[in-house]
Amino acid sequence: MSAPVAVGTVVPPHELDVDPEKMKVMAALLGDPNRIHFDSRLLEELGLDPRPVNQGPLNMGYLQTMLARWAGGRDRILSFQVRFLGNVLAGDRVRAEGTVTEVRADERGTIATCDVSLTVLGGAVALAGTAEVLVDPEPTQENDA
Amino acid sequence: MSETDYGDRVGREFPGGSYSLDVWRCWLVADTLLDDPWETTPHPVLAWMAGVGGMGMTWDDLFAWFDASADDGPMFGEHRTTLHRPLEAGATYAVSGRVVSVVRKVGRRAGAFDIVGYELDLHQEGTHVANCYNSIVFPRRGAA
Repeated sequence: MSAPVAVGTVVPPHELDVDPEKMKVMAALLGDPNRIHFDSRLLEELGLDPRPVNQGPLNMGYLQTMLARWAGGRDRILSFQVRFLGNVLAGDRVRAEGTVTEVRADERGTIATCDVSLTVLGGAVALAGTAEVLVDPEPTQENDA
Repeated sequence: MSETDYGDRVGREFPGGSYSLDVWRCWLVADTLLDDPWETTPHPVLAWMAGVGGMGMTWDDLFAWFDASADDGPMFGEHRTTLHRPLEAGATYAVSGRVVSVVRKVGRRAGAFDIVGYELDLHQEGTHVANCYNSIVFPRRGAA
């Protein structure tokens, strides 16, 4: 992060293509038996789009990755809150975005509150929420003699 | 918004257990996210994964507390994680959790549905590391 963080600062967006093979690995890691995450034939039989539905944790994780890269590490995320508004399907291209809405300092350092969202390009917003990230762990540095 | 027949589930504790952030697990989770699997700090999404992985019951068990199953199409509603300290690769966390709310709503298009809120806490050697709040939406087709 090179420029000072202020209200209105835009977090560099993070775009990626959703890979169905990664969903299979995540289903195994989660022990999630829900076949909508990997079984295209089932989805077709149900009359749905045959593209598997991405797991919620993966969608959350894309936003957290964006924030961590911007703030300087995965350990910089202090809190994270989202509402699930829609599905992300295999093959979708998604864009994680964020904007700083508040900057404050406490004993941990300088903390930015951000509005965040994950959007399916050409589609709708799938997740929206807020996060707090530690953008500078040394708030008293500038006051040190 | 109204109470449901499931109000007595509020406060019910999960069996709990523990969950280890094994290095291999951290690697695979980062890889599924198309993030750097070689980075040593675990991805923050593992806070939630550790919670549900160590809560001591399966999804089917939890759904059954509300007379539902995966076939009913339960959905994620909301998620909130607070990290009091960073996660550590190789660490083992004690997990506890509980149901914190049950609310019935009726939508014009969706019909009746119950929103079940639950919390999960991660502790490491007595230190509170993280809290996750989540809600699950259970469709209640045919209910008023």
